[in-house]
Amino acid sequence: MRRRLGLGFWIATGWIALVLAAAVLADVLPFARYDETLAGPPQTGPSAAHPFGTDGLGRDVLSRVVYGARVSLGVGIGAVVLGLAIGAPLGVLAGYRKRAADAVIMAVNDVALAFPALVFALAVVAFAGANLRNVLVVLGVLGVPAWTRLIRGATLSFAEREFVLAARVLGVRDRRILWREIMPNVAVPAASYAFIGMAVVVVAEGSLAFLGLSVQAPTPTWGGLINEGRTLMETAPHVVLAPSVVMFLTVLSFNLVGDRLRALSDVRQSGLEPVRQAVAVLPAAEPRPVAGALLQVEDLRTHFLTPRGAVKAVDGVSFTLERGKTLAIVGESGSGKSMLIRSVLGLLPGTGVARGGHVHLEGDELTAFTPEEMRQVLGRRLGTVFQDPMTALNPVRTIGTQVAEPLRVHLGMGRGQAREEAARLLASVGIPDPARMLGRYPHQLSGGMRQRVTIAMALSCGPDVLFADEPTTALDVTIQDQVLRLIHRLREERDMAVVLVSHDLSVVRQWADEVIVMYAGRVVERGTAADVFERTRMPYTEALLQAAPRLTDPAHHRLRVIPGRPPDLAAVPDGCAFRPRCAYAQDRCAEQAPPLLSEGGHLHACWYPTGRTMTENEGADSHGR
Amino acid sequence: MIILHRLVRLVIVLLVVTFLSYAMLALLPGDPVTQILGIGANDEARAQLRQELGLDEPLLVRYAGWLGALLTGDFGTSPITRVPVAAELAERLPVTLELLVAAQVVALGLAIPVGIAAARRAGRALDQVLTALSFALLSTPVFVLGVLLILLFAVTWQVVPATGWTPISVDLGWNITSVLLPAVTLGCGQLAVYARLLRADLIATLQEDYITLARARGLSPRRILWRHALRPSAISLITAVGLNMGALIGGTVIIETLFGLPGIGRLIVDSIFSRDYLTVQGGVVLISVGYVLVNFAVDVVYAAVDPRIRRA
Repeated sequence: MRRRLGLGFWIATGWIALVLAAAVLADVLPFARYDETLAGPPQTGPSAAHPFGTDGLGRDVLSRVVYGARVSLGVGIGAVVLGLAIGAPLGVLAGYRKRAADAVIMAVNDVALAFPALVFALAVVAFAGANLRNVLVVLGVLGVPAWTRLIRGATLSFAEREFVLAARVLGVRDRRILWREIMPNVAVPAASYAFIGMAVVVVAEGSLAFLGLSVQAPTPTWGGLINEGRTLMETAPHVVLAPSVVMFLTVLSFNLVGDRLRALSDVRQSGLEPVRQAVAVLPAAEPRPVAGALLQVEDLRTHFLTPRGAVKAVDGVSFTLERGKTLAIVGESGSGKSMLIRSVLGLLPGTGVARGGHVHLEGDELTAFTPEEMRQVLGRRLGTVFQDPMTALNPVRTIGTQVAEPLRVHLGMGRGQAREEAARLLASVGIPDPARMLGRYPHQLSGGMRQRVTIAMALSCGPDVLFADEPTTALDVTIQDQVLRLIHRLREERDMAVVLVSHDLSVVRQWADEVIVMYAGRVVERGTAADVFERTRMPYTEALLQAAPRLTDPAHHRLRVIPGRPPDLAAVPDGCAFRPRCAYAQDRCAEQAPPLLSEGGHLHACWYPTGRTMTENEGADSHGR
Repeated sequence: MIILHRLVRLVIVLLVVTFLSYAMLALLPGDPVTQILGIGANDEARAQLRQELGLDEPLLVRYAGWLGALLTGDFGTSPITRVPVAAELAERLPVTLELLVAAQVVALGLAIPVGIAAARRAGRALDQVLTALSFALLSTPVFVLGVLLILLFAVTWQVVPATGWTPISVDLGWNITSVLLPAVTLGCGQLAVYARLLRADLIATLQEDYITLARARGLSPRRILWRHALRPSAISLITAVGLNMGALIGGTVIIETLFGLPGIGRLIVDSIFSRDYLTVQGGVVLISVGYVLVNFAVDVVYAAVDPRIRRA
């Protein structure tokens, strides 16, 4: 607990406690009363007798600041309690009951939030009279809309949770649900906002007091002290500085405590946050360029450095790719497929990453390129398409601007020429009426159309290799086939190579020349499509194939799933990473990791490869649990 | 449809705001005529004011009449200064507007580079320093900041005058000098709010797929930042600029008092102390209505920046 809240939290809490204690004990503290004139010589600076000095009438400034804290903190606590007392029931009612109650409360709230709060507080105090009660009531009531909103939001998020729904279904009474289930969960955000609200009220009371519209003299207030002190600014600046600094520290402390409490309840902040560290380079094998290869990846490694240890997202992957071929990368979610693509392209976050290995594109070593040099390769020689076309296009720029951009940046085309070329590109990916499409925004297009647009963008500068990271996963089945055919056709027309990431084995079987199977960041099987699908050697590949439904399966056929879960990449087990889920695992698998061995060009990493030849009709009935 | 919905809401909010401003007179203890005119007023003046305020009629009827007069620009005549409230407000308004605009310019002009610098190096030393500074700035009450700035720039270094106002019509250079310190003071609090918002939104935007894809197309970081990331990230900032007009307007009351600027805020405070309640009421109505209208305008601008809302 202490470690997560941080040192600042405890210092801030200590300061608040100090100010509060001083305010409560003001009458017994050993200094002159706030209104005792000539307690010391007027306008003298800080001394042992008067730590904050004296003001124009020789009054002790420390005493006045401490008595001023009574008003500030009193109004602060009182107004927050008042706001909470009115706002919390309204918020709970709106969040839990919903419908009519919610609509009415929130409509009133919206109107209330449309008021300039401080000006209203000012006017009310001006008309009704400046005294402690009025200031407290006005500031409290002005806080109600914010409290209502906060409590409603918190209630709403818990009223939908499983445990509350379950309690409701079981017939537990509403009042009991509210007290037992919802209140404890709403308490942390409410506590956090209580401190932030306190800061808001202290500042607001200070503002009123500064204008002379809070508690009246002779009772000192912080705002009033600052207002008085500024007339002495030239001769005795400590008179204005002392209350200013105390007020600043108090407001800062309230904000800090509130902020830390909020962070405490914010689940997003826990877990896998990359630690800050410059890019580290992992040792890798010496590069051995293969003649004739368009793209060669050797011993590529990407490790994310986290507080839990290195997450080995890509761990020593090698492959080569020739022009005019399609390489498929398959594996479960989290097996490192997408990270492999991003590592090849160099699209990794700048911090918290260690990388190693080599990527060659027609003899150029991309891994040795500077970011500037890499930008000449990306988009121009390497094209990329991502999984979700809904998030792949910038929502606030037109299709035309986005498709034309690489043409203008990389090929130096003028505006008009780029637009013409963009329209031609859109036509080539099968988009009807491309000229009109240029002026549209992404949200006006269907998913399939958007994916065609991203393909057109990826192909705009005539790349040598197209990386397609699950290009059809987010699309309808009928659209999927169209998009894959389009990629295939464009590959042939342009003599490109394609790297196709997919977890859809039927897609891979149909379009790939070569296949890589990944598990836990490593290649576990690699070979031609025929090798991998028909002469499967790796039990993991076999399990993947069995998990894929086929049209030839009989009706009501039970779908096989791979038992267990992919390993935690920060703690991959010793030996073979697939062992805990493997039906054929033996003792040796736990002791030694199997190397990736070649068997006539067909690579696999398994001590006990499945020697069988799998065919369509037999696969589903082979070894199982 | 959405515009119509918002227009209806605008009218409702305006009615509520003006009604509350009007009803404030009722908060005055005792007889409002005595409160407004003071005890020494003669019966003739009392009767005239009583008729002007229409005190014999029901509250809603009085409100309707007052609102009707308001719509024709008649805010009443101050019984203290014998000057029409509308004329007084019109004379003060340019000062407050100039202060508000200058403060927003200062706040946005600094917040955008600060937010971008922090977001680009999220988590690094520069970001942590900027984040800590803006948190501290956020916790500094505007009058504390104002006092400190006056102490430094006007008293210690004497680079700008501490108080006073020179209208643009008199001398542009002196006008800028006189608005500089107040605008910086007022803008600094907003600067922190804006910079934090922009930083958070930019960091979120930079995680988006379309930004990664823009990098995959070999676009330079500068181009990605300005052309791709900034506009989608600016939406909450624009909302905040509008919503914070309220905080700023509240701030002008203090700033104008602190720096001795003859604006609406100062007029309200002075009028409170001279018990010139009709002028206070006029000032409050003007500020509230202005605030509501600015928020409405923000909604419209918001739609222009985000095409998803415009066409939805």
